[in-house]
Amino acid sequence: MNCATPNATDPRLATDLCGVRLRTPILTASGTCGYGPEYADVLDYRRLGGFTTKSVTLRERPGNNPERIVEVRAGMLNAIGLANVGMDRFMVEKLPFIRTMPTAVFVNVAGHSMDDYVRVAETLDGADGLAGIELNVSCPNVSDGLMFGTDARLLRELVAAVRGVTRRGKLIVKLTPNVTDICDLARAAIDGGADALSMINTYVGMAIDTQNWKPMLANVTGGLSGPAIRPLALYLIHRVYRGVAREAKIPIIGMGGIQSTRDAIEFFLVGASAVAVGTALFIDPTLPVKIADGLCEYLESKNLQSVSELIGQVKLPA
Amino acid sequence: MTLVKTQKLCAAEARVTRVEHPCRAHVRLHFALPSFPKSDPGQFVQISAHPNRDDAPRELCWPTDEMPRPMMADWSAEDAFLRRPFSLADRRELADGRSELTVISRAIGRGTRWLDSLQIGDALNISGPLGRGFRLPAQSDTCILVGGGVGIPPLIYLARQLCEARFSDVVVILGAMSRDLLPVVLTAEPACNGAARECVLLADGVSYPSIVATNDGTLGIRGLVTDALREHVSHAGILADHTHVFACGPERMLHAVAEQTRALGLHCQLCIERMMGCGMGTCLSCVTAVNDASRPAGWRWGLACGEGPVFDRDRLKWD
Repeated sequence: MNCATPNATDPRLATDLCGVRLRTPILTASGTCGYGPEYADVLDYRRLGGFTTKSVTLRERPGNNPERIVEVRAGMLNAIGLANVGMDRFMVEKLPFIRTMPTAVFVNVAGHSMDDYVRVAETLDGADGLAGIELNVSCPNVSDGLMFGTDARLLRELVAAVRGVTRRGKLIVKLTPNVTDICDLARAAIDGGADALSMINTYVGMAIDTQNWKPMLANVTGGLSGPAIRPLALYLIHRVYRGVAREAKIPIIGMGGIQSTRDAIEFFLVGASAVAVGTALFIDPTLPVKIADGLCEYLESKNLQSVSELIGQVKLPA
Repeated sequence: MTLVKTQKLCAAEARVTRVEHPCRAHVRLHFALPSFPKSDPGQFVQISAHPNRDDAPRELCWPTDEMPRPMMADWSAEDAFLRRPFSLADRRELADGRSELTVISRAIGRGTRWLDSLQIGDALNISGPLGRGFRLPAQSDTCILVGGGVGIPPLIYLARQLCEARFSDVVVILGAMSRDLLPVVLTAEPACNGAARECVLLADGVSYPSIVATNDGTLGIRGLVTDALREHVSHAGILADHTHVFACGPERMLHAVAEQTRALGLHCQLCIERMMGCGMGTCLSCVTAVNDASRPAGWRWGLACGEGPVFDRDRLKWD
C-alpha cells in the first residue's frame, strides 16, 4: 500500500467489532450525524466504519427550549433534550433511508423506563438492515436521563431486559462519565449482556452569561463535548479496558473530542477497538474519512498490518 | 484543499479578494472560490473562523523517534471551535470564472475577531450555501427591504438579485444604532424626513431608493426601521396584495415588522438569526417555534438551518 494514495477501505483498517465487520474502525457518534440524509451529500458512507443515529425514544420528544448549545473553550455544551420523532415515525420516516446506507448502522435508543427501552429495542431488532442498537443510558439533558447510567444494579437489569429482546442485532451500551467509578457501570453492562461498550457520553457542565447572570443554556446545564474532554475520555477508557473490558473480551468504542488521526491512535492505544467522531463532525463532516486515511499512513509508517496491533498497547512504566 | 463538492453544497477553501470597512464596527469580506453552487439571498455559509488546518487531521508527516516533537497536545484551544454562520451579503461571478462571495462581520468574539484580521490573499474554509433563502415575488410587485444592524447583509444580496432580475419598484429601509454602525457605503446624505432617495451603494452597481433610520438620529431619521416602514407605507399608496416586505434584524424588530405587515395585509418574509452548531440539520440547536396545525399543540420546533433562516411571517410563532 502506497501512502501517497491513502484509502479508507484499506484491508488493514478492516475491524471486527463484536462480530460486525467494519470497513474502518472510525464511526460517527450519536447525536452528531442525524439519521443519515443530513450528511449524505458530503460524507461518503462507503468509506465510513459505522454510523450511529441520533437517539430514538418510544414517543416523540420536542426537545428543550433554546438556547440549546453554547461554545466554550475547546468544546461546546449542548442540551438538546433528546429531540426526536419517536419510534413509530422513525420506522416510517427514517429507517428506509438508513437501510440504504452502505455502512454498519447502529440506532441509539433512549428511554424513561425499562419498558420504553425494551419496546423500542424489540421493534428495532425486528427491522432489517441494522447492525444493532446503542443503549443511551447517559443523556445528561433530560430529567431522568442518567438514572440507568449511574446505578449499577438498575443498569444490569436494563441491559439484561434489552438483551432479551435483542436477538439479531448487537447491543452496545453507552456509558456516562458522570459517575464515581465507571468500572462498576461497565461491569454491570457486561454482566447484563452487552456486546460492546461505547464511552464516553458528555460531561455535565454549565456556562453563565456574566452580563445578565443567567445560565447560557435554557436547560441550565448541558453536556460538555469536544477536545476539552479528550484527556478525560482517554483516562476512563484506559481504566475500563484494564479493569473490566480486556478480561471480559468486550470491545470498547472510544469517543470524546476526537479531531485527528493522532487523537484516534491515542484511543486505540489505551484499549478502544474502534473510535467515533462526534462534535467535530459539526465542523467537518468528512473527518472520519480523513482520520481513516491518516490511520492508514500511520500503520504504514509503523509497519503494522492491522489496527488491532495498537489496541491496548500503551507502554506503561514498569 | 477542497473538502467536498456536490451540486448543492460546497465545502472548500476560499481566498480573500477584498477587505472593506464600510463603517467603524463592520468588516466587509469578499472571497473567491473556484466555483460555488447556485445560491439564494437569505442563504448562509458556515465559516471555519480560524487559520486553515485542513491537514491537521491527517498529520501527513509522522515524526520519527529522532525528530523533535512539539510538546503541545492541542492546537485548537485558542481558536474558535465551531464554524460561524454568516448570511451571504453578495455574490458575483468573476471574469476568471471564480465565484466571489461577500459576508459582513462585526468583531465581537473569538471567531469574528479572527475574520476581522484577514488580509487579501488569506485563506478561509467555507461551507454552503445552507438553509432556505428569500423567494422572489412577481417582477411587477412592490418590494420593501427592511434591515436592522446585523441583519442588513442578506438584504444587500437580495437587492443585488432584484436588480439583476430588473425589479423596479423597490425601496430599502436600513437602520442602525448610530451613523458609524451602518455597514453600507453612502453616496449621498439620506433624507431626514423619511423620503426614499438613492443615497446608499448597497453593492457594486446596486442602488435603490433608500431610507435610513438611526436610534440616535446621527443619520437619516431618528428612530427605528419600523417607524420608517410605517411612515413609508402610509405615504406610498401601495397595493397591499402586491407588496412584499423582506426583513432581517434583531428579534424585536422582526416581531414589530411581522405585526405591522400583518395589520396592513402585506406579504412578509423574515430572515432570523440563531446560534448554530452544524448548519446542516444534525445538531438540532438552531430551533425556532413554527406554527404547525398538524400537531396537537399547534406548533413545533423548526430548524433555522433547514426550514429557514427565511420564514414566511405566518409560519413563525411569536409568543
